[in-house]
Amino acid sequence: MSKIRKGMKRRQFLGTAASAAAFTAPYVKRGHAAETVRIGFNAPVTGDVAAWGLPGLYGCEIWAEKLNAAGGINVGGTTYNVELVSYDNEYLSDKALTGAKQLVLEDGVKIVLQLGGTDALATAEFMTKNKMLSSTLVPSDLSPETTYLVAPCEVHPLYNSTGVEWLARNKPELKTVAMVTQDDTIGRPSVALYRAAFEVTGMELVHDSFFDLATTDFAPIMTAMLASKPDVLCFDTAYPDFINLLNEQAFLQGYEGTIISCTLDNYPVIMEKTSAAFLEGHIFQFPDFDDQALNQPQINFKNANDFYAEYTARYPGSWNAVSWEYAAILELWKTAAEKAGSVEPDPVLEAMKAGGKGDHAFGPASWWGEELFGINNALVGAWPVVQMQNGKATIVEYGDIPTWWEKAKDATIKHFEELGEMWYQRT
Amino acid sequence: MLDLILQTCVNALYASSYTALMAVGLVLIFGVMGIINFAHGELLMVGAYVVFFLYATFGWPFPLAVAGSIVIVALIGVLMERALFKPMRGNPLGGLIMSVGALFILQVATVDIAGLGLAKNIPPAYDGSVALFGIETLTLPRQRLIVMVAATAGLVLLWLFLTRTKLGWALRACAQDPEAAALQGISLDRTALIAMVIGAAFAGGAGALLAPIVQVTPYMGHAYVVTAFIVIIVGGVGSLEGAVVASVIFTFFDTFVTTFIDGSTAAILGLLLMLVVLVVKPTGLFGSAEKA
Repeated sequence: MSKIRKGMKRRQFLGTAASAAAFTAPYVKRGHAAETVRIGFNAPVTGDVAAWGLPGLYGCEIWAEKLNAAGGINVGGTTYNVELVSYDNEYLSDKALTGAKQLVLEDGVKIVLQLGGTDALATAEFMTKNKMLSSTLVPSDLSPETTYLVAPCEVHPLYNSTGVEWLARNKPELKTVAMVTQDDTIGRPSVALYRAAFEVTGMELVHDSFFDLATTDFAPIMTAMLASKPDVLCFDTAYPDFINLLNEQAFLQGYEGTIISCTLDNYPVIMEKTSAAFLEGHIFQFPDFDDQALNQPQINFKNANDFYAEYTARYPGSWNAVSWEYAAILELWKTAAEKAGSVEPDPVLEAMKAGGKGDHAFGPASWWGEELFGINNALVGAWPVVQMQNGKATIVEYGDIPTWWEKAKDATIKHFEELGEMWYQRT
Repeated sequence: MLDLILQTCVNALYASSYTALMAVGLVLIFGVMGIINFAHGELLMVGAYVVFFLYATFGWPFPLAVAGSIVIVALIGVLMERALFKPMRGNPLGGLIMSVGALFILQVATVDIAGLGLAKNIPPAYDGSVALFGIETLTLPRQRLIVMVAATAGLVLLWLFLTRTKLGWALRACAQDPEAAALQGISLDRTALIAMVIGAAFAGGAGALLAPIVQVTPYMGHAYVVTAFIVIIVGGVGSLEGAVVASVIFTFFDTFVTTFIDGSTAAILGLLLMLVVLVVKPTGLFGSAEKA
């Protein structure tokens, strides 16, 4: 029930798909675009975590459509059209593994995109055994055994350090933080990182607790946070629905201070439930792609403003943290495949990591991670710090993760170890 | 500290109100029909979606949308009773399986009607908060106050119905001893239908009232029904009084642990509380041996 072949079933795509076909047809006739390379998308499209899957699938569809309309991808003299094959894993381990098997063994995909956390951890062994290149948005999934798993876009939770650094530098009067964390494979590495980042900057954690994924009422959680009278509220990395409800509770309980979190997905909806004044100054890590700071020369996600315009026109209200990320990974994959002269996972992976450097969406970066993940499979460089300004997400600077790591390495490893999140502590 | 304790009590009372609404409906259905309705959470979900459509999409006034929601979910309850549960009368396992089937049907139907993916955000119908008892730091958002008042009113009306009307007496008689009730000329078919309508209406009403406060998804019912099951086990399966008292006990326990320790610990200790009650008093706080 979960498998959807994109571009074929979605009603709202019919019109655009027909147009794309019309554009593509001449290329097929003129060139050698008879070949098709399949790309697997194994992420939650429904269920509680759909907000970090479905918007990413939309982005991939736009990417694939544009690529095919432009004539496909030329690899070793052969032109390929890209076909996206998606499997809705609902963010459940068993479904993620089923999806991986179907995509790899039956559909013959050449790369599998995953959200990370539950799904990537469930499929890691299978991917390695089958030598299938796969990606995660959660580098803490990486370990020395996951040789075919890469984190070439999102370097969660490392980039959260850039927001904390910016806050400490620009608002030195803020000294105390109350933090809550969702208790799962995404929240726990993130809280370890935030603890390290606050420690390094000298900010004191006056409240630090976990909440269960089945939580439906955030009033008691917010009451406890506010009782510690913090200068800053930190919502860590939490599912969009949780971030929404936490913000609403902070607003309803009269909080007027600074908030920092990994994401602020669909903030217009949050603003509707709170106010623009309440969200003003909120720090997070994911920009809207109409931001002019994305036109700087070092940015490798080309035509970000156009991508955003098309995305928001096609899927109003769906833009969030992951809308561009899976597409950014596909762009890296395409460049690597062209460089390798092959679409097969091994040569593509080799080309992707050649020289230890890579073109991350936000600029030049290095393949990194051995100290924290046991393997250099995360592409780490700069990451934007985003602040709500006049009701709009605005990039205030690009923070440098490797520089931060040099001063926070010991604290980070200490906090990862305390929570059993280092790769050698996982069972 | 006193402020924090008082605010926690207010938070707990709010949670008690909708939890009791859910639990009482479940108990009523179980007591009269002998069916553990696994689809009860989905009835809550449907109630929330009806509000999403009527209030957030079509712009109906919120009270009218809630009323519409209660009527629609009650009608779904009628359909479930007549089509699924009635043929399974006397077969608790069959009824249970039917309710699991209904759970999936309601989820899939909602997905088909309302779409997949992102949660529905419903703006609050009543903005802002009110200070309670003149204490500025003791606040309750108006939307939550509405939930508390409406849920309490629903429970009081149910109590009056059960204790002051012949139909209510018939329901209680069927819940206590269906065979004896039938021998007195009480129609089991009729009382089962009424129990299902009331149970479904309560779940739909809870979902409708909660809709602007929570994230509405086709899968949202699960968390609420799990809590309701814990509550009716603690209170004593089949006991309406037990369901209300256990709702208060459980939500106070959960809210205090969440506030003073953390949410993850509260989830674990909540289940532990249920286990302790089962060990110490297997029939639950208010349950009788026959009902256990």
